[in-house]
Amino acid sequence: MALSNLKEYVRPDELDVALSLVKERGTSARVIGGGIDLVRSSSPDIETLVDLSHLSLSYVRQTDKGVAIGATTTLTEILEAPALENYLQGVVVEMLHQVGAPPLRNLASMGGTLASAHPWSDVITLFLALGAQVTLYNGVTRMVPLSDLYASRALLSPAIITEALLPAYAKGTAAAFMKFSRTKFDIAILNCACLISTQNGDCKGVRLTAGGTPQLATLLPAAAEVLLGRRLNQTSIGQAAGIARETTLVRDDLRASGNYRRELVYAGVKRCLTCVSRQLSGVSQ
Amino acid sequence: MKIELIVNGKQQELDSAPGETLLHLLRRIGYKGVKKGCESGDCGACAVLLDDRVVNSCLVLAAKADGHRVTTVEGLAGQDKTGELHPVQEAFLEHGAVQCGYCSPGMIIAAVDLLAHNPNPSDQEIKEGISGNLCRCTGYVKQIEAIRIAAEKMRKSADV
Ligand SMILES: Cc1cc2nc3c(=O)[nH]c(=O)nc-3n(C[C@H](O)[C@H](O)[C@H](O)COP(=O)(O)OP(=O)(O)OC[C@H]3O[C@@H](n4cnc5c(N)ncnc54)[C@H](O)[C@@H]3O)c2cc1C
Ligand code: FES
Ligand code: FES
Repeated sequence: MALSNLKEYVRPDELDVALSLVKERGTSARVIGGGIDLVRSSSPDIETLVDLSHLSLSYVRQTDKGVAIGATTTLTEILEAPALENYLQGVVVEMLHQVGAPPLRNLASMGGTLASAHPWSDVITLFLALGAQVTLYNGVTRMVPLSDLYASRALLSPAIITEALLPAYAKGTAAAFMKFSRTKFDIAILNCACLISTQNGDCKGVRLTAGGTPQLATLLPAAAEVLLGRRLNQTSIGQAAGIARETTLVRDDLRASGNYRRELVYAGVKRCLTCVSRQLSGVSQ
Repeated sequence: MKIELIVNGKQQELDSAPGETLLHLLRRIGYKGVKKGCESGDCGACAVLLDDRVVNSCLVLAAKADGHRVTTVEGLAGQDKTGELHPVQEAFLEHGAVQCGYCSPGMIIAAVDLLAHNPNPSDQEIKEGISGNLCRCTGYVKQIEAIRIAAEKMRKSADV
């Protein structure tokens, strides 16, 4: 039995009912998106599961603020959504092709993926770089930067993620993602992402992230800083990658040594920035 | 708890403990074509279609599948009442894509999903389509070939 102490499986039609069930039952209750992590956890503590699939939270919508993704949308639905095909040159689609395999992506939900906060998550590394916002519901609705969710896990206790927003960016903005893994199906030894906005060819906004270090993805502010006001070229890209290598906290685990990861940070940041530089020069031609 | 599933087109009302997986339930009621491998989402032996998309049934609670359609490898043949094998099954047999056969049901189900959504996949897309299905015997070459051939056959019969 996957969850041997599970006693009730409920599928409320209203968000308030879902929230009050989680509040009432306390730590023995969890909300369930795809259920992958919950089933794999085989946790004896779980007695109630609150399924969010009847809350009309499966959608990918183009809005004036960006692309809104409902919490129960599967990774496959996101990958196939027309609204994301050309969003930042298809970077979300490209990343999702590298997440597990189709049977997993058909189950995994956006909300479960962000809430589970796996340190090697490809989705989180890219979404942090893209400046994603998440909408949380705990009786009141509020939107916070995704990074806040990981700075304070208390935000989720108890609260339900209802939506993620990938902000709209002006022309002259590009993003890239890079995953290093032993095989395509494996989880990342390390992953990196970047988002660069330019004005007259100079970097105006820079967000760089590295994940699976083996910690959860974080921003790399020192490496981003060195690019501000400059053009992306071999020199500036090399400098930013070098600073990322020096300043990113890495360590050993069963997948790789810290030293190997340090070199991957350098290679990943360099490749992401080179890719963005090519995209931006293509745009301005 | 009581759950309702439509397994291979047949509506069934079933008793299931809330923590039971779809894999366990399907095998318990006789669908032994759904194989039990790793039970952790790594091997794909347990793959079934849940409302037309391939999923690892070991990662789905039966309760989550309540009210949904499930297709196992047993449901692929004779969907048109003729009892004929599905073109993917036929191609696997004819082109030597089966050795011990343990991975075959899951691999075939994954290929059926792939071809339903992408009738003319490149070899790269076929590889991605079956990337969640491990095979310890074949080396994958024959399976990729078989899926390519099944795709051709299905496109031809769709044109007729
Ligand atoms: C074999 C395998 C390979 C994988 N490969 C990759 C990979 O290559 N890259 C990668 O990034 N990931 C990978 N993953 C991780 C996978 O993406 C996650 O397991 C999956 O995304 C979890 O999503 P879920 O919807 O199934 O979560 P669930 O199991 O439903 O939930 C996970 C947690 O989040 C909570 N939760 C769910 N929804 C919400 C919500 N709306 N609000 C608040 N809390 C919520 C649940 O209570 C639970 O605690 C892999 C997983 C497996 C098993
Ligand atoms: S038994 Fe389900 S993936 Fe291996
Ligand atoms: S044929 Fe034996 S595992 Fe694939």
